[in-house]
Amino acid sequence: MTLEQLTEQQLDMLKELSNIGMGHAATALSQMLDQTVMLRVPRVTVADLAEVPRLLGGAERQVVGITLRLLGEARGHILLLFPRASAEHLLQQLSGQSEPGAELDEMAVSTLCEVGNILSSAYLSAMGNLLEMVLIPSVPLLASDMAGAVVDRLLIELGQSEDLTLVVETEFHDLGPESSAVTGHFFLIPEPAALAAIFAALDRGKT
Amino acid sequence: MTDVRVGIADMRVAKAPALLVAHGLGSCIGIALYDPELCLGGMAHTLLPYQRAGTGPFRVGKFVDSAIEAMLAELEARGAVRQRLWAKIFGGATMFRSPLHPEDDGIGVRNTRAAREILDVFGIPLVAEDIGGHHGRSVEFDLATGCIQIRSLRQHETVVTL
Repeated sequence: MTLEQLTEQQLDMLKELSNIGMGHAATALSQMLDQTVMLRVPRVTVADLAEVPRLLGGAERQVVGITLRLLGEARGHILLLFPRASAEHLLQQLSGQSEPGAELDEMAVSTLCEVGNILSSAYLSAMGNLLEMVLIPSVPLLASDMAGAVVDRLLIELGQSEDLTLVVETEFHDLGPESSAVTGHFFLIPEPAALAAIFAALDRGKT
Repeated sequence: MTDVRVGIADMRVAKAPALLVAHGLGSCIGIALYDPELCLGGMAHTLLPYQRAGTGPFRVGKFVDSAIEAMLAELEARGAVRQRLWAKIFGGATMFRSPLHPEDDGIGVRNTRAAREILDVFGIPLVAEDIGGHHGRSVEFDLATGCIQIRSLRQHETVVTL
């Protein structure tokens, strides 16, 4: 399945699917933070590989990225990106420990990976239930660096097959005070074959 | 001075006083070629080592091999002499460290190996490199001097000059 062939209706289905998944992930996050978590309407973008860092606010912006491979009946990647300051606020609220600007220690890395794990699992189980598919996240990996450098590993994997990438993106933020607000981006990047499987499952559901 | 942005999977050739600039290289590898006589140079920001036969149309800057080939052709078309050219490479980091495969022979390493091999095939000397590690790099190539400044965000912002 090539990305140019996607219809408006299919893009809407992806948005809706992501909305449901993200709703569950947001519930999990709001329970962790004891704060309401708001979601933006998801964006489904067929992005040229070279444009992806710009979607994230520039290649040099300092971010913390947590990536998981999507395994099971549909393959792809999940990327959870926090601006560096948000990751520090998140750590502060979860473990009471975080030094602005300091290198993330083992405890911080493991805490943030666990957040990635919980959000992805919530997202995938909601999506899997809906699609009647088994979707399993891999072990999360973390990198804290420039946005361009954090995402290029993913672009490389996707770039093996095509120049264009389908990205389902949802921005979320909590309603805490601005000085300690947590915002982030959740990306679902299905492989081309996975997209076909997802649409087939949605069609099955309709009949 | 004009900055020429080299995006992901991109390749650009320019002449002094321009700067060739690439932001946020992780596992990607950057390749710079330079003719000091003409102050003419090129930079590529590549994702993968080798193009595969039978894959559809792609950006020349996406693969190390196609990028070097295209850059060489454009440099020579603008008067560069191959015997005068030198190369510098940067990037090729392992951004996501896996506890299961701590010394993974990852894509950054494979990109680096490909760049060295291909430069060797074309007989272009590799005069300097800043490769590997676990950090991203932002690069500025000054075509007036041939100097390359590399910034990273480790602990404190550090600058390496090649």
